[in-house]
Amino acid sequence: MQRMFMRRVGLALLLMLAATALTFWLVTAAPGNVAALIAERAAGAGADGEMIAKIADDLGLNDPLPVRYARWLGDALTGDFGVSLRTGKPMAEEFAERIPMTLALLAGGGVLALVLSLAMGIAGAASNGGIVDRVLHGLALVGASTPNFFVAAMLVIVFSVWLGMVPTFGVAGLTSWLLPWITIALFPASVLARVVRVNLQDTMSRPFATTGFAKGLTRSAVLLREALPNIAIPYMTTFGAQFTLMIIGAIVVERVFGLNGVGAFFIEAIRFRDFIGMQAILTLFVVFFVSINLLVDVLAMLADPRLRRPRKA
Amino acid sequence: MKNWPWAILAPALLFVLIGLFAPWIMTHDPASQDYSALLKGPSGAHWLGTDYLGRDMFSRIIGGARTSLVAMAFVLVAALAIGVVIGSFAGYVGGKTELVLISVIDIALALPSLVIALALMGVFSGENFSWMSDYWKMIVALTLAWWANYARMSRAVVVAELQQPYIEAARVMGASHIWIFTRHILPHVLGLVVVYASADAGALVLAIATLSFLGLGVAPPTPEWGQMLVDGMSYIEENPALVIIPGLALTAVVVSFNLLGEAFALQKVPRAVRGRFLARKKAARAAEDAARKEVEA
Repeated sequence: MQRMFMRRVGLALLLMLAATALTFWLVTAAPGNVAALIAERAAGAGADGEMIAKIADDLGLNDPLPVRYARWLGDALTGDFGVSLRTGKPMAEEFAERIPMTLALLAGGGVLALVLSLAMGIAGAASNGGIVDRVLHGLALVGASTPNFFVAAMLVIVFSVWLGMVPTFGVAGLTSWLLPWITIALFPASVLARVVRVNLQDTMSRPFATTGFAKGLTRSAVLLREALPNIAIPYMTTFGAQFTLMIIGAIVVERVFGLNGVGAFFIEAIRFRDFIGMQAILTLFVVFFVSINLLVDVLAMLADPRLRRPRKA
Repeated sequence: MKNWPWAILAPALLFVLIGLFAPWIMTHDPASQDYSALLKGPSGAHWLGTDYLGRDMFSRIIGGARTSLVAMAFVLVAALAIGVVIGSFAGYVGGKTELVLISVIDIALALPSLVIALALMGVFSGENFSWMSDYWKMIVALTLAWWANYARMSRAVVVAELQQPYIEAARVMGASHIWIFTRHILPHVLGLVVVYASADAGALVLAIATLSFLGLGVAPPTPEWGQMLVDGMSYIEENPALVIIPGLALTAVVVSFNLLGEAFALQKVPRAVRGRFLARKKAARAAEDAARKEVEA
């Protein structure tokens, strides 16, 4: 177990390193001349060749790429992600301001997706082919197919424009968090509800479920006490994948509702060619992603001893 | 495939047909503006009304179908080709080459495809890439973000297929690598990957719309649903239909492709897609047995 665990952590760290190196290479290779870009931002059109050369020299832009990556990595590990080309503020400061907003979005959305998907999945399995099951199935299909920006737009139309209940932009109080949370949770909840439903059905046809019925347990007892724990691993794996995908939801939602999170910053960085900001945010995403996947794997290993044995090739 | 619900193909097919024949279906030029008819509701002249520039909404929706379809087709074909080549090469060659290629695939899958596509759109905004139009930037970005899934899948199929006894038999009979690969392995890979791709098309349509919604995809005046929706957001109080119509069109298309995916799922294909080849093999064997019985009877 311990060896498997260490191996997984080591692989995750390697993956983070490789992915950040790749993004670093792409992002620094792209802009053509970062120094010219910086000089242009600093001095407007008055940037001359001498100034550009000096900036390039100061930033060490003339060094070979591996040297620059090593220097960037050293800085990043001490929490220094450079200064945003767009806002002129250190990225560490931007992170401190924006990460709580995005985390609140993800956390609220995650909890909502968890509750909704379990409720829908279990209700569907309990009804098993009945009208409730079919309606929920249809809902899950539509929920997994509706673009999250359309969901956000519809929520704004219904609750802000038609009913005038919630302000359209910004966050004020708990109610204004509700629309972003619903937007971000709908897609993962629909996908997860299907996972719960399908796996519960699968589990209910296994011998131990039959034994439960033979013992005289009610259907709901078999469903909740015997079958439900057995879907933990597929559920966790899918939940992890969906939770990481919620980053995309966050990007969209922050834009629609005008929230100042990491996702909104990412889009602005792309549009304003803020390559330092882009690299910082991409690093953040890679770390978030790889960590969540690692966490899911470890949780699955804890839950199922079979996964702890080294895999055979 | 005898009992396969063919009717489920209809909505997706309808989308493809509308996209193909869009120029003949459109009643107006989707880019022509009419300042005498701004933000109008549905009428005989404009079946779905007009937008904030007086452009015909019906023609723009139909034109948007074409934009999505063409971009989606380019990306799917390119991503599939790259993925199949890299994935099956890795699986067939094995050894260190395989290890390196798997690592590349894993790195490419370390972020969600759409985040990679967004980042690449940022990279392509650099002056080094100014020779590409925005439309092609989007197609290249999506392709580079999308191939890795197909590569992983292709590799898995190749590795599973290589363990089959008939491959060894072919080798013993003196078949070359090229022969074995093209005659025996590639059909299996393509069979699975193409099925997956047809279900994946919905996700791609969604990705194209999301990029455009965020202002990083198809640029105006080309009609595109995500971009129409974000444009409509500014007029949400005057005419919410500008948001609702493209949103519904988009949802309908994604639903139809997801229905297709679900129909495949009921045939147990996704089990194989997830890497559990046993189910697929069992099904194939059962089908073979059934066919044999039919012949015997």
